[in-house]
Amino acid sequence: MRIKVGKNGGRGEKHLGKNNVWDWVIIALLAMFTLICLYPFWYVVVGSFNSGSDYLRGGVLFWPRVFSMENYRVVMVDSRLWIGFRVTIARTVITTICHLGFTSMVAYAMSRDDLPCRSGIYWYCMLTMFFGGGLIPFYLLLKTLRLLNSFWVYVIPGMFSVYNMIIISNYFRSIAGEIHESAVMDGASEFTIYSRLYLPLSKPVLATVTLWVGVGQWNSFFDAMVYTTDRNLQTLQLFLYKMIKTSEFTSTAEMGGLPSDLVSNISTTNVRYATIVVSTIPILFIYPFLQRFLAKGIMLGSLKG
Amino acid sequence: MQKRGKRRFNWQIFAMAMAGVLYLLVFNYIPMFGIAIAFKDLDYSMNIMKDLMEKPWVGMSNFIKFVTDAQFGSVMYNTLVLGILELVITFPIPIMFALLLNELRSQRFRKVVQTTTYFPYFISWVVFAGIVQMFVSSDGGFINDVLMRFHVINQPIPFLSQPGYFYPIIIISSVIKGTGWGSVVYVSAIAGVDQEIYEAAHIDGANRWKTALYVTIPCIMPTVMVMLLLAISGILGSGFDRIYMLQNPLNLVRSEVLDTYVYKVGIADRRYSYTTAVGLFRSVVAVVLLGSSNYIAKKKTGNGIF
Repeated sequence: MRIKVGKNGGRGEKHLGKNNVWDWVIIALLAMFTLICLYPFWYVVVGSFNSGSDYLRGGVLFWPRVFSMENYRVVMVDSRLWIGFRVTIARTVITTICHLGFTSMVAYAMSRDDLPCRSGIYWYCMLTMFFGGGLIPFYLLLKTLRLLNSFWVYVIPGMFSVYNMIIISNYFRSIAGEIHESAVMDGASEFTIYSRLYLPLSKPVLATVTLWVGVGQWNSFFDAMVYTTDRNLQTLQLFLYKMIKTSEFTSTAEMGGLPSDLVSNISTTNVRYATIVVSTIPILFIYPFLQRFLAKGIMLGSLKG
Repeated sequence: MQKRGKRRFNWQIFAMAMAGVLYLLVFNYIPMFGIAIAFKDLDYSMNIMKDLMEKPWVGMSNFIKFVTDAQFGSVMYNTLVLGILELVITFPIPIMFALLLNELRSQRFRKVVQTTTYFPYFISWVVFAGIVQMFVSSDGGFINDVLMRFHVINQPIPFLSQPGYFYPIIIISSVIKGTGWGSVVYVSAIAGVDQEIYEAAHIDGANRWKTALYVTIPCIMPTVMVMLLLAISGILGSGFDRIYMLQNPLNLVRSEVLDTYVYKVGIADRRYSYTTAVGLFRSVVAVVLLGSSNYIAKKKTGNGIF
């Protein structure tokens, strides 16, 4: 057994020695929970690779019984999936960049003690975290701003968050004030100090916020459903929702391009599985990064921080 | 010189902050004035902006309509019971999970457990609830398949069509989705506990159980309190996505919560004033809950979020 002493803040020492009964109970409990977390995904992957007509007999639990790629062939011709991917990638990238730029700029101002009316502005921001107008006034606002049914409805309302602003601001405050003073001596403007000095010095917190916003944007579903009706603005999550919930299936026109024996063989359930797998692959790819960064940054997340 | 420079009105900084102030004015404060809609009768209005100016005030009538609505009882019941179940079941599990992780001797096993259990958090509720839906489906879903194979049941149980199964399905899927990630904050709190306290406890002959009970848990209590207060303030927010995904006309009696109700009457039925009143009711209750729980927490333990 390998024990890294440093990683756990020196706890390793205490844990030297053989596992006793309680250790095994804990290991069993955690192993069981881990399997419970993992299995539903495995079940979906297995189902996605199984032939549809065979699957209906039931009992495909751990490995595909009749291996088949037919579900994926049906998914791949669905243009809505690709529209969904395009919209979701675009909104995730654009909103995350805008959010980071805008929120960190305000955070910089809030981190300065010489900001006029600082505590007034602080409470003005805090109030919005606990109270709002609700769905209808917000909907009417978006309507007035002509944001409904526009791509920008994904970006502009998501550009700023008071919570993230406070987190970034706290980080900025931990940067030594001498850096700011010497830059002022050299005649740098506040915006230059913010963008050239503070931003590069704050990579850990910026990475964390990037990933929070990015994951939120990728998974967001409500805004696409409520604020858009345009088929070309349908996000991946909205497409998945329709696909899973309303058994809205690949359009017959698009199925026309597939061999007829394949079409007669597929089942809705298995095509859904394949769609879920395809839509999850991007997350799987960036997961190792997500995990490492987010776990590191979570402590920044506590307001006490 | 230095002093005078500091006292001067720093307009650059002020302009940067004003950008944020303006943004919040448009996207948060202006909608707050929209609360006026709740005190007028604008349901089904075709031109709401014009009507908002011209129609007379109707006082609390929209609130009275909600409280006397046939659905009020079940919507409030579901929202509150789900919120309380979350608080009693979903909230403490990540704490226990973090404590168990802390007891593991093998760092490699610990890493595997963490990496795997964090994963569901990154999947959207649309996908996760979709998987849950197919998992419990009466049409060849995993649960029914296994139960029938072992002859526990003869007929598949349509879990999602029977209202009685709705709460357990929501709570169990929340636990699976949120426990791993929810434990991260406690894992880092535990990592931050001063090592000397552990050493002292060890010298005093405390076993692992006693160490966990009298050292680790008291040391992470401030973090637990902050998380608890946040959880209490969110008690009425049932999480739109997961409920909406798993609800259907057959389980509506147990699955309709404030969030889904607001969406349906507001956007689908266009009852603007009524919906705004329901939303306002929800916000006020949430603010009161947060304020009072923060007050109690501060009085009793000295920890609060403000």
